[in-house]
Amino acid sequence: MFGKKKAKAVDPAVVLDVLRTVQDPDLHRDIVALGFVKDLEVSGSKVSFKVELTTPACPVKDQLKAECEAKVRDLPGVEDVHVEMTAQVRRANVSTGSMLQGVKNIIAVASGKGGVGKSTTAINLAMALKHTGAEVGLLDADVYGPSMAMMFGLEGKPSITPEKKIIPMDGHGVKVVSMGFLSDPEKPVIWRGPMVHGLLQQFLKDVEWGTLDYLVIDLPPGTGDAQLSLSQAISISGAVIVTTPQDVSLLDARKGLLMFRQMKVPVLGIVENMSYFLCPHCSERTEIFRHGGGKKASEALSVPFLGEIPIDPAVVVGGDTGRPIVVENPESPAAKAYVDFTGQVAAQLAILVEGGAEKPAHAPIMPGPLDWK
Amino acid sequence: MEEGVGPLDIRQVGPKELEITWSDDHVSRYPVAYLRRACRCAACVDEWTGAQILKADQVSEDVKPVRIEPVGRYAIHFAWSDGHTSGIYSFEHLRNICPCKLCTAG
Repeated sequence: MFGKKKAKAVDPAVVLDVLRTVQDPDLHRDIVALGFVKDLEVSGSKVSFKVELTTPACPVKDQLKAECEAKVRDLPGVEDVHVEMTAQVRRANVSTGSMLQGVKNIIAVASGKGGVGKSTTAINLAMALKHTGAEVGLLDADVYGPSMAMMFGLEGKPSITPEKKIIPMDGHGVKVVSMGFLSDPEKPVIWRGPMVHGLLQQFLKDVEWGTLDYLVIDLPPGTGDAQLSLSQAISISGAVIVTTPQDVSLLDARKGLLMFRQMKVPVLGIVENMSYFLCPHCSERTEIFRHGGGKKASEALSVPFLGEIPIDPAVVVGGDTGRPIVVENPESPAAKAYVDFTGQVAAQLAILVEGGAEKPAHAPIMPGPLDWK
Repeated sequence: MEEGVGPLDIRQVGPKELEITWSDDHVSRYPVAYLRRACRCAACVDEWTGAQILKADQVSEDVKPVRIEPVGRYAIHFAWSDGHTSGIYSFEHLRNICPCKLCTAG
């Protein structure tokens, strides 16, 4: 009646409406309300937009992308959908002053006791975050037994700028600073508390970290000077507790967790290392130290369970040769377990920053110094 | 103090009072000399016995903070005009010693 029937142009408001039905499973809000949808463009029957997540390590990135594409494609008049997934890591670090200005999130990796694979977890966490495209630093705060130089295969000393700032060394794209760079590998570090405190202060103040999405801090085991100093000097965004399945390790994990609670450092969750052995020949799963203790502990202490990492001799080799398993063999079950765990860590941090619907945002803190007038 | 409660704002009110607005909407106003006397550091309170070392009359009514700084996520630190700098005041402690009528009643 009115001439040739022309396909009606797609209304951007309709696209936004359908995207409002896409929920972020961690933050329990829709992606439009969260401000994730950017650069929405409609041209005829073509729709394109960006979804900007709060972390490139989002564990449900592919799922969200598929859901967005499917829902928009189902709209009448839409023939072509292009969704680009990006990420802008949001800032959890609110500490002001001279320390760690450019660092958006500070993740402490801790354990109640030694030998649970804390440094290996820290290094693979850092590598997996880096792989998603984030800017990552790693501070080896294990002043008594620094291991990062070897685990990253780094030799020599870091350079110093004319302003006397330490430039981190490059470990597969991660900015690394370790006590091991400054001390003789043959000599043990025998230090009293105040010296540990002083050194950590220097690592925080005098390292040229630049802009980082995540700074991973590998803490020494236990609940001592280094933990106390760091929890006081900086505002740690969240702590990850590494444990093994045995009861004694879980008992210590509990102590570590309670220490962080006392210092009001949010605990992102517990990860169970050496969880099981996956036979490389027959793929049979053997639970050497029993299984499920970490999950049980996280339930008892009501913190998230971040995952379980299998025992894999390749992880140890990776640590000894300076090529972390996430880099060396990303398809191995252990590397995949680290990547899943990293996704959980990033998701828990995002929940803290955004304040999911179920969980209130963490208690506010004093943002900066106050001079009395 | 309820889990998850922290200071929304910490500010100077007049020459001698510090005010904290908490995230549960409570407002605490402290005379600063009262805060100096409430220091829990090892020099002011015996670490083992808990006995009070600092006597109230050792603190001048004119004492005032020079600078107040955050300590991690759980506390603040005062540098005082009398040179004392070793005290760390956790938010929990500060809330416990709130001198308002509601908190001191009962």
